[in-house]
Amino acid sequence: MINFLVIVFIISLIYVSKVEMVKSYFGLLALQGVLLFGLAYYELKAGSVIQLLFILMETLVFKAFFVPLFLRRITKNKIHRHAHGPVKGYYSVLIATLIVVMSFLIGYFLHDELKTNADLQVKYFTAATASIFVGLFIAINNRDLVTHLISYIVIENGIFLLSLALGSDMPMFVNAAILLDIFTSVLVMGVFFNRVKDYFQNLDTTQLSQLKD
Amino acid sequence: MIYLFFSLTAILAFVTYFARNRNVSHVLVFIYLLTTIGLGFYLAPRVGEQLNEFFFCDAIGMIFYIILVIVSLVSAIHYIEFVKDRNVKPAVQAMHNAGTIFFTGSIVGVLLTSHFGTLWAFTEATTLGATVLIYHNRNSESLEATWKYLFISSIGIALAFAGVLFLGLAGQQVKNVDFTFSTIKHLSDQLNPLWLKACFLLVVTGFSVKMGLIPLFNVDIDAKDVSPSQVGASLSSVLMNAGFVAIYRFYEAFSTTSILPWMNKLLMITGLISLFFAAAYMLKVRNVKRLFAYSSMEHASLVMIAFSCGGLGYFAAILHLIMHSLVKSSLFFQVSQMHRIFNSKIDENIGSYLRINPLGGVVMLLGFLSIIAMPPSGMLISELLMFQTLIAKSYWWIAIIVLLLVLVVIYGLAVRMLGIVFLKKHGGTINLKGASPFESIIQLSLILIVFYIGLFRPEFIVQGINLAIKSLPV
Repeated sequence: MINFLVIVFIISLIYVSKVEMVKSYFGLLALQGVLLFGLAYYELKAGSVIQLLFILMETLVFKAFFVPLFLRRITKNKIHRHAHGPVKGYYSVLIATLIVVMSFLIGYFLHDELKTNADLQVKYFTAATASIFVGLFIAINNRDLVTHLISYIVIENGIFLLSLALGSDMPMFVNAAILLDIFTSVLVMGVFFNRVKDYFQNLDTTQLSQLKD
Repeated sequence: MIYLFFSLTAILAFVTYFARNRNVSHVLVFIYLLTTIGLGFYLAPRVGEQLNEFFFCDAIGMIFYIILVIVSLVSAIHYIEFVKDRNVKPAVQAMHNAGTIFFTGSIVGVLLTSHFGTLWAFTEATTLGATVLIYHNRNSESLEATWKYLFISSIGIALAFAGVLFLGLAGQQVKNVDFTFSTIKHLSDQLNPLWLKACFLLVVTGFSVKMGLIPLFNVDIDAKDVSPSQVGASLSSVLMNAGFVAIYRFYEAFSTTSILPWMNKLLMITGLISLFFAAAYMLKVRNVKRLFAYSSMEHASLVMIAFSCGGLGYFAAILHLIMHSLVKSSLFFQVSQMHRIFNSKIDENIGSYLRINPLGGVVMLLGFLSIIAMPPSGMLISELLMFQTLIAKSYWWIAIIVLLLVLVVIYGLAVRMLGIVFLKKHGGTINLKGASPFESIIQLSLILIVFYIGLFRPEFIVQGINLAIKSLPV
């Protein structure tokens, strides 16, 4: 089951890199949230009830429900197509695929370095690496603010996968602080996203180039 | 006690946000700062003690805690004048003051935590606090700078978190590892060096935005430029110190492992490239605030270079940070006054400052002498110690490169700042009411502290720094 969820997550990453209609992002983010919940559940089901509830909150409530809904609300469904960067169309898919292949190679070479439960950890590690690099690629390759927000969430999903490889080593207090920080940063970004949109009447980041030396 | 302090931070930030009376809002900030002073007195006799599961008080935390209190207090005093001059809306002022409390509380958390997870969480919290402060002016430039800062900083901090998780992966190979500094340091020689290297690389990359180093320095420069001067002062001093402490915690924990030379190389390369960028930009910029922002980048680079040398370099790095915090915040505070007088921050529009505002001119002149490490500035000592360490380690080429780049920086600063202080070049209207001798005297006091350190090398500072670096390898 974990293999299936990891593979679907990686496929969703390739699809995220190709998306042209902004509204498609929201469904993909919700799907990733559900997949992360599935993975977290299998990883941590032997843990305490409080921890499981916490993970449920972080993945299903926050990642699968709140974030896509919040993004959909702030874009008000008025933004349909996002501005492209230098790499267009299927070339994005090619690059995302290369990133995934590179992540598998990194995972393969690092397998021996993961001594505890290495087979399982390397799966999370591979998906996490792919997610972080695809997120960075999306951020660099797109000029609009919506996609920048999405890229941040894709990177955060990758970090979450990496934390799964750790199991339940972090104390609850720290987990709560981390979730609160990420939650607040998404909210604050959303608020500023709206302000930028209202001020510049445009979401293209080329508008944000007044500050130069 | 420490949890009480953070609860009070949250409550006061919340109350201040809703306090729309100008005076009440200011008073709340000062009540909070008095609380931080009170906490300082509580912490002072407890240096070296673990306060609870997640917090402790050590020498380096305490040193930068004192700097935080001083700069925050001076910053709050300057904000009163800023609000009067700019006729800031009560809602904006309330937001700023609430942000100040939150930002200060977050930095206290960074300085006092003893756990890598909470260190990350508090560092992320400083981003959110800084975001509110940078957005103060509510114009297109502040919006652009705020968005960029928030976005890039969040990505940087996310990468730093990946670093913390790599540390966790390394820790899983050893039983009963938690994320406290002491445990990691105790067990670090048993941890896989590959994961530790990955961790340190990501942490330095992520926290570079806080220290204003490569690769994420751009957003930091923009933020210091468009935010009010007192915010620029905080970003250039207390936030830079917090970034340094965050990197220092990882460095110290891994310093007994085989990756020490690799970490030193990484810090040296980061410092050298950052210094190169700072020097190149300082020849080009016309905006005084950006000039000071790049100057902060230059000093952060020198700190990294000194620190990467080890030995005396550790001492030099911390001493340099202390003095830079005082001098740079004074200069940023003075820019606010200069802006009130000339209504510009472009050097071509500002001149004869010593004649127009004599006390302000003296602050600029002495600040300039301090920042370029001219005697009797205490920064001369730290820079000399840095070069002494470079030469002692036979890093001749690096010493020569650093010296040349520092000369370029001095030239860039001298051309702009001496022009501002002495040359007659202003063509527009001058608002003489903008001058504030009271503010200038406070700024002058901060610079004189640096001169005092340079001339007398007070024993308590030397002992404090020695205590802070005691656990590092010789």
